[in-house]
Amino acid sequence: MRAVMATTPRLELAAPPAVPGTPILELKGISKTFPGVKALDDVSFAVWPGEVHMLLGENGAGKSSLMKVLCGAYQADAGEYFHNGEKVEIRSPADARRFGIAVIFQEFSLVPYLDVAQNIFLGREFPSRIPGLTDRRRLYREAQKVLDLIGLEVDPRTKVHQLGVAQQQMVEIGKALSQDARILVMDEPTAALSDRETERLFEVMRQLQAKGVALVYISHRMAEVFALGDRITVLRDGKLVGRALPGETSPDELVRMMVGRNVDMSYPRRFATEPGEVVLETKGLSSTNGIRDIDLKVRAGEIVGLCGLVGSGRTEVARAIFGADAVTAGEVRIFGKPRTGGPDAAAFAGVGLIPESRKAEGLALIRTVSDNLAVAGLPKLFPNMMFSPGKARRSAQELIQRLRIATPSPNQSVAVLSGGNQQKVVIGKWLAAGTRLFIFDEPTRGIDVGAKSEIFALIDQLVAEGAAVLMISSEQAEIVHVCDRAYVMRGKRIVGELGRADLSEENIVRMGMHDE
Amino acid sequence: MSDHALSPSAPARPRIPAVPGVAVALVGLSVLFAVASPGFLTAGNLSNILVQSVILLLLALPMTLIIMTEGLDLSMGAVLTLASLVLALIVVATQSLMLGLAGALGVGLAFGLANGWLVASLGIPPFVATLGTLGAAQGLALIVSDGQSVVGIPRFVRLVYSGEVAGIPNPILIGAGFYALFHVLLYHTRFGTYVCALGGNREALTLAGVKWKRLLISVYMLGGAMAGVAALLMTARMNAGHPTAAIGMEFDAIAAVALGGTSFEKGNGWIFGTLMGVLTVGVLRNGLNLMAVPSSVQVACIGVLVIFALFLDGMRSKKS
Amino acid sequence: MSLAGDVSAGTPRIHLSKDMQQLLYRLLAAGLLCVALSVATDAFFTANNILNVLRQASLLFFLASGLTLVILTGGLDLSVGANIGLSACLAATVIKATGSPALGTLTGLASGCAIGICNGLMVAKLRIPSFIATYGMLWVLHGVTYYYMAGETIHGFPPGFRHIGSGYFLGIPIPVYLMIGFLIAGTVFAQRTVWGQQIYAIGANPMAARLSGIPVDRRLILVYAFSGAMAGVASIVFLARLNSAEGDIGEAMTLPAIAAVLIGGASLFGGVGSVFGTFVGALILTLVLNGMNLLAVNASWQPLVTGVIVIFAVWLDMVGRKRS
Repeated sequence: MRAVMATTPRLELAAPPAVPGTPILELKGISKTFPGVKALDDVSFAVWPGEVHMLLGENGAGKSSLMKVLCGAYQADAGEYFHNGEKVEIRSPADARRFGIAVIFQEFSLVPYLDVAQNIFLGREFPSRIPGLTDRRRLYREAQKVLDLIGLEVDPRTKVHQLGVAQQQMVEIGKALSQDARILVMDEPTAALSDRETERLFEVMRQLQAKGVALVYISHRMAEVFALGDRITVLRDGKLVGRALPGETSPDELVRMMVGRNVDMSYPRRFATEPGEVVLETKGLSSTNGIRDIDLKVRAGEIVGLCGLVGSGRTEVARAIFGADAVTAGEVRIFGKPRTGGPDAAAFAGVGLIPESRKAEGLALIRTVSDNLAVAGLPKLFPNMMFSPGKARRSAQELIQRLRIATPSPNQSVAVLSGGNQQKVVIGKWLAAGTRLFIFDEPTRGIDVGAKSEIFALIDQLVAEGAAVLMISSEQAEIVHVCDRAYVMRGKRIVGELGRADLSEENIVRMGMHDE
Repeated sequence: MSDHALSPSAPARPRIPAVPGVAVALVGLSVLFAVASPGFLTAGNLSNILVQSVILLLLALPMTLIIMTEGLDLSMGAVLTLASLVLALIVVATQSLMLGLAGALGVGLAFGLANGWLVASLGIPPFVATLGTLGAAQGLALIVSDGQSVVGIPRFVRLVYSGEVAGIPNPILIGAGFYALFHVLLYHTRFGTYVCALGGNREALTLAGVKWKRLLISVYMLGGAMAGVAALLMTARMNAGHPTAAIGMEFDAIAAVALGGTSFEKGNGWIFGTLMGVLTVGVLRNGLNLMAVPSSVQVACIGVLVIFALFLDGMRSKKS
Repeated sequence: MSLAGDVSAGTPRIHLSKDMQQLLYRLLAAGLLCVALSVATDAFFTANNILNVLRQASLLFFLASGLTLVILTGGLDLSVGANIGLSACLAATVIKATGSPALGTLTGLASGCAIGICNGLMVAKLRIPSFIATYGMLWVLHGVTYYYMAGETIHGFPPGFRHIGSGYFLGIPIPVYLMIGFLIAGTVFAQRTVWGQQIYAIGANPMAARLSGIPVDRRLILVYAFSGAMAGVASIVFLARLNSAEGDIGEAMTLPAIAAVLIGGASLFGGVGSVFGTFVGALILTLVLNGMNLLAVNASWQPLVTGVIVIFAVWLDMVGRKRS
């Protein structure tokens, strides 16, 4: 972490650009600590009426925490709030609502089996003339008004679980708008929307802006940042690292602020001159999770990338190869033999999956490093089915040294390790299992820069020793710098293959984007 | 409204599945018994089914709400038993129905509070928390009754069950009244909306500024209170308080709710489905009775039916 | 409370000793109970009573040891008590019909195991939550048993068979030997086999276990089959001890068995617990109930006390989890 800070370019953290009038909301010196993590560290932030304030930062930079503090879901450990220049307290969602703050979360705050109207007015039901009852007629009338405002054409009596993701997102927006918000906070609201819906949303935003509503907008899309933003704030590692006006900065500068370094992706990689035998081959593979007609090949000694936008079906391909989702058509061959059965059969055949969500799918957090390192290799380590803790510990010790896992002992709980070391444990469990084909799903997610290059050095070592690697990553730069070849996915299909010579971020993006 | 339903972005699916499984089960079983046993399809017997289903309905209604919160109350049968004994003891001692009912409600509310507190405040999984209070209620039932039945229930108590108003048996009126009450509660009050949200998305309630813990406790208290009300009918029907009277009755209630299509996940509940589920259990028991199938086999049949219903429920949620 | 506090002091103390510490506290509690009961009543510290406690604990332990494995996977088996009922009645019938205790014992074990496999299939393949699936099974078994017995009792078994439940060897009841045998076998299975380790892994994180190549479904079925088979064992010993089979035999055993597992330190959330812990839990619960008996507390208080103990044990576990 320190090393990263040292390479950070100096940023002007002086006064925010001058604006006439008082901010409608100002936070000063907000800090919030969770056990082991400083989510927010002395963050100050202000919005003025009628402006769109863009909030930028990588995953884990503290944007979500800041939003939760804003809406009263978290209470800051330190810091002050000013509403129209007056010092106030925000201790609960009710407080936040009183000051006109409304938040649209990325994970939906919708109740699946309530209808659209009930969701929009959850917690603000209209009382009927009969005491104790709610006025349903008014509820649907008001809901229809909200739907008209956002241009969503659904029956307000539709249960929310029957709506598509984009429609749910619009309901969420309607819910926030109906609160007569003066400050509206949106977390990547366009991530799930079509172009038409996005256009409609921007129109609504402009209307709100004209009415003097302050908008805080979190986005990863640079085009949106420069198209909509009146002011930009960048967070990194829970700290405020920069403020800027769109006219006075560039996308490159913003990325540098977010990442905290000049984007240098030169990972060590000895490219294979002559790949070996075909380890993995899929033919016309389709699965219950929606992927269709996947044809791909991975040879021993090569790293093959699998890229495309989030939701294009990359993880689903990994799961189908590993047997975690049922195959509905086509086949998977491992070392030329068809793979049948579930993940246990795949693991036995020499396939290992390093899943995207380390904590939910990769590790048993309540168990020790040693337990986690042994879990996949149990049948290999103990062929007579009798388990020996001593042997497991010795095997763990070996892996800890080989992978340079920073842990005081193999008996340490895996939960207290850093993200990078946890990832090494997940890789290690497959080494213990004698895996020959490694499928990495977002191997560097939530891992700091130093650990990233260690992970890549490790992957490079694996292929140098003759393993085959299929690697999914959303960071195209990683794919470009690390992979021998890459497949690009769009809409649950593979739409192209890029050889080493053609492998560039531009090509990946061009192939992976919709043709529009 | 219909023009909206036809708009392109609205899914064409109806809000309630075209023919719910429970309706098929209810009609199917009825036809089966009507054919198999001549005594089934008589006015007297049908009225009998309704009357006998009322106590179960009184438990199944709040059980629906509890299950909608992703909870469960295994203690209901034992609490009903205990409440019935307390009611019987008080009524025999004081000759006052009101005092007896107050006692029964008190017992129910106390256990409901305990369940709710364990589940909401301590975060103990509902099935274990209520299994624990089931033991407690069963023990207390044995203790207050000393293992004996309480007899000598006055006539005015019996009339609660056997009496009628305008030719309609009292239990049916009571059952209809409470059904209407729960319908209104679930679909026309904030409470009902929040119950659905408790199971569907608690975070949403927190963000909406609703204190969900208190709400969850009150759902379990409602269950306890209804066990108290059911205790009155039970005591009146049996003309006694018996220390093992309603042991296991929560199973019939859970069965009825599960049959009725209420899911154990995400707050997906349906109060009319529960009514049909209760009637299905009632028809099943009545029909099997007429065919002289022992009560034990009836329980086994219900068990199989429930496992089947849950299997279907699992299939449905897997699909969506 | 203080117990949980000491344990969670998260210095690089090794994991094993944390579990050991938990166990030591529980053994200490059992010891204190013994001392307290010895002081409070004359009848407690007699050879007769001690052996009696051990024999009662053994019955509870058979049931609870199988249940431990289920709870280790994060599930629950509410049907074990009803399983005893049906298995005992079937075994009794076979003994009566064939005169062969061996065949009867086999029947009891097979029926218990078969019921367990049904549970396992419902949980693993139909994906019905375990507490609901086994709760449904409880009532199915209950109904079948009552129908089968029709209120009758089957009694009077050959002395050789009764020896299993009420006999002595070297002055110690036979069930106590069985308990020690199953304690060792269960501990070895859970701690020293690949399957045991996989069961812990499944309980700790079922998703990660599956994605680590553990055949989760097969292990789950195995675990429920085990729990059922142990109910079969309990049914045989019960039958031999009571010398009669009735429909409601074993009915009141489910809650105490769950209590024993939870007192023994197993977590309802899976991945934590041990067969030895359950052994200590069974001892503690039996001591409490025995003590109430000796202190002339009405037996009606037993379900109440057991219920409260279950809740208390779960609460302790939750507090411990929150701290760490």
